[in-house]
Amino acid sequence: MADEATRKAVSEIPLLKTNSGPRDKELWVQRLKEEYLALIKYVENNKKADNDWFRLESNKEGTRWFGKCWYIHDLLKYEFDLEFDIPVTYPATAPEVAIPELDGKTAKMYRGGKICLTDHFKPLWARNVPKFGLAHLMALGLGPWLAVEVPDLIAKGLVQHKEQQSS
Amino acid sequence: MAADWEEIRRLAADFQRAQFADTVQRLSERNCIEIVAKLIEDKQLDVVHTLDGKEYITPAQISREIRDELYIRGGRVNIVDLQQVINVDLVHVESRANDIAKSDRNTQLVLGQLIDETYLDRLAEEVNDRLQEVGQVHVAELCKTHDLPGDFLTEVLSQRLGRIIQGQMDEYNRGVIFTQTFLARHRARICGLFSAVTRPTQLNHLINLYGFQEHLLYSVLEELVNSSRLRGSVVGGRQDKAVFIPDIYSKTQSSWVDSFLEQNRYLEFDALNRLGIPDPVGYIKKRFRGRKLLFLQASCVDQTIIQQVEASVEEAVTSGTWIDVQPLLPSCLSSEDVAILVNEVMRAANVQSSARLLCGTMVVSEKFISSCLKFFEQSMQQKAQKEIKNNPVFLISEDDLKQNPTLADTAPPGKKDRKEERRKKAAEGSGSTKTGGGGNAREIRIRKTKKKGRRDEDSDEEAATAPQGRNKQAEVPFMSHEQVEAVLQEQVCDCPEEMISELAEHILRPLTRLYQEVVRAAFLSTSGAGPGAGRKQNVKELQEEISNLYNNIRLFEKGAKLFPDETQASIAKHVLKTVCTDMTNVLLTFAAAEFMSAVESPGSVTNEVRIRILAKLPEDTKAPMMKLHNSLNGRSIEDFLTYLEPSVEVCGFMLKKGDKKRERQALFQHRQALTEQLKQTEEPALVLHLTSVLLFQLSSQCALHAPGRCVPQIINALTGRIPEGQQRLLSQYQALVVKQLVSHSRKLPQGEMEGDSGAPHGDDMDAVRKELLSLTNEVKDLALSPRKTSVTED
Repeated sequence: MADEATRKAVSEIPLLKTNSGPRDKELWVQRLKEEYLALIKYVENNKKADNDWFRLESNKEGTRWFGKCWYIHDLLKYEFDLEFDIPVTYPATAPEVAIPELDGKTAKMYRGGKICLTDHFKPLWARNVPKFGLAHLMALGLGPWLAVEVPDLIAKGLVQHKEQQSS
Repeated sequence: MAADWEEIRRLAADFQRAQFADTVQRLSERNCIEIVAKLIEDKQLDVVHTLDGKEYITPAQISREIRDELYIRGGRVNIVDLQQVINVDLVHVESRANDIAKSDRNTQLVLGQLIDETYLDRLAEEVNDRLQEVGQVHVAELCKTHDLPGDFLTEVLSQRLGRIIQGQMDEYNRGVIFTQTFLARHRARICGLFSAVTRPTQLNHLINLYGFQEHLLYSVLEELVNSSRLRGSVVGGRQDKAVFIPDIYSKTQSSWVDSFLEQNRYLEFDALNRLGIPDPVGYIKKRFRGRKLLFLQASCVDQTIIQQVEASVEEAVTSGTWIDVQPLLPSCLSSEDVAILVNEVMRAANVQSSARLLCGTMVVSEKFISSCLKFFEQSMQQKAQKEIKNNPVFLISEDDLKQNPTLADTAPPGKKDRKEERRKKAAEGSGSTKTGGGGNAREIRIRKTKKKGRRDEDSDEEAATAPQGRNKQAEVPFMSHEQVEAVLQEQVCDCPEEMISELAEHILRPLTRLYQEVVRAAFLSTSGAGPGAGRKQNVKELQEEISNLYNNIRLFEKGAKLFPDETQASIAKHVLKTVCTDMTNVLLTFAAAEFMSAVESPGSVTNEVRIRILAKLPEDTKAPMMKLHNSLNGRSIEDFLTYLEPSVEVCGFMLKKGDKKRERQALFQHRQALTEQLKQTEEPALVLHLTSVLLFQLSSQCALHAPGRCVPQIINALTGRIPEGQQRLLSQYQALVVKQLVSHSRKLPQGEMEGDSGAPHGDDMDAVRKELLSLTNEVKDLALSPRKTSVTED
């Protein structure tokens, strides 16, 4: 399971109630509202804790999401683009977050830059359908993955600081 | 539906907004600390971190906090407390505090405490409150209560004196602050107390008793005394021994001394000491500078007493009596003092030579002593006589003769001895002054015992010297000490015993000496020679006597020659036995006296005594004397006369051959003596004897010295030379006398044998006696009346 700080952050994220996917017109709106409220809350919480680490936005329907995420290591900020789609079976199935620039650089990644989430995450998500939403996905999925993989990648020299690269 | 999407859009917008809102830039503690440390290291930031490390604080803030704290705590705060409050390292607090103290004039750092003016003002007010309440405040006390150093407090308080503190600080003792009222109260108390003091009092004692401020007391007291508000004086400066002597005390003291001296005429140092005068002699000398006082060991005496004593001593001396000085003197004088005084008086009165001091207090004039000696003269004479009789020939040995001249010389040394003794006594007296003082009774007792001891000593001395003297001089003890005392007691009735015993002691020696002389004189007088000046006279008298005797002897010899041989012999024998023996005795006793032997009166010297005297005489005197003595036993007066001449010469006399006139004178004297004897006698035999001798002298113009045995021969010789009637009367009387004598001689044995057988004889006797009586006057007339006729015949 994730560390204590993560657990705390997750517990502060409001749980969702509506169990509906993009296919359900009415209910999806309801679900999307809840997603947004949860995300806002999560971001606010992160900001309060001086732990802001991503930017996220969606298309109009709220089915496709994209944005940035970053990680500070050795006083250097490493920033990556991210994107994912809401699957049709959502919320039963968790969305697959992809970081295209890191495609092929790490083993824990599927083709197309989709990060390989741990074995823990999927059962956890499955157990918490429909209470978990996108905010939980960020906090429990992408956050820990970054914290594990990025320092490793930097150490391997696969990821270099952009300013240093440029310079 | 649109509304829902709208809402979603809005939510999306909100989400974006939320995402792009400023994130709070938060540094982790670690970083923060590192950053600050870096800054401090680079001197870009001047901060101090708190002790728990959670905060940083700037020095200015520390200063401000210190000031705030100081203000909150009322102007005084301990730096250690500050450190706890501000919670930074003590070093920073201290340095800031120092900075504050330096920069701010109102704040100072004292004993690690920051103190500002307001605090001090308040403290001063507090002190003032207390001061007003109590009157005086000790800085030391304040130091204790306020936990501040004394110097600082003193300085602070003295700055505020008169401003906040209404009071003043003692000039001498800066540790005390007092108010004017306190001062006044103190002064009033001192004034009252010392006004009430009537005797010397130790200031120390009063200070302890009444809790005076010592320095204040001294200064106030000095002031009061100087302004003569208090009458008295402080003796001993500002020390513990300081004593306040009120004038009234010294006045009463001196008035007491004055009046005591005035009344009693003396002052005892002890009494002055008791009065609290530490140096009586100095005090008296200062006080009675003008007066003449005699200072003794333990007292001083006024001139009046001395004069009184002097007068009585002089009177005693001039009147030849004695006086006890003791009653004239104050009873408290010790014996030593009395001795000093009396000596002084005696010196002043110039009677040292004519008076003597006995018992320490009795002045006895020498006249009195000599008069005392007179009491003994009679008994001395008697005793001397008795002594001579007890040993009739008390002859002084040869050694004694040698001692003789020294005997006369012993007197002056004796006197000297006595003087020395007296001096010694005086020295003794002065040596034992330490025993002086104390109660009178005890003194007297001491004196008594002392006297006794002294007497013992003296008598010991005498006893020691006496046997010596006896060995040498063969002193004849006159009287024992007790005897002398007894006699004196009898004669001098009103003397105390002590004086008598001492007087007796004094005169014992002179008495003994005198007695020796008397005894010697007695011996000498018995031997016809007197000592000293009387001797010359004696010699003259002796000369006279000797020549008289010599003349008589010659006359008798002449008279004897008128008789027949037989009668002549008996007469010569008689003359030798009587007159010549007398002559010899006179010479012998004189010789004996000359050589300092003593003999009884010449008359009683017997044959044996003569021999003994002769044995003692020196050879050159002895030979003629011996011959003379032997001639006494001879038969011839002529022999005696021949031996007499050298003997007399040896004795230093002259034999004057009588001329006619002298002879006649001797004859007349002889006759006169005989007639005198005749007139007085009634004894018939003696009458007959004298008458016959007288008649013979008348008829023959020759003196006759004949024994009674020769009366008949004389009467026979008279026959023819006197008238018949007279002759017959004589014969008749002679017969009667013979008869009576015979009857007498008969009666004695008869009367013894048978009582009344002598009655007829008694009648006979009566007749004879009557006849004799009737005839006696006639016979007497024969001798007495014919003398006239014979005188006329001549």
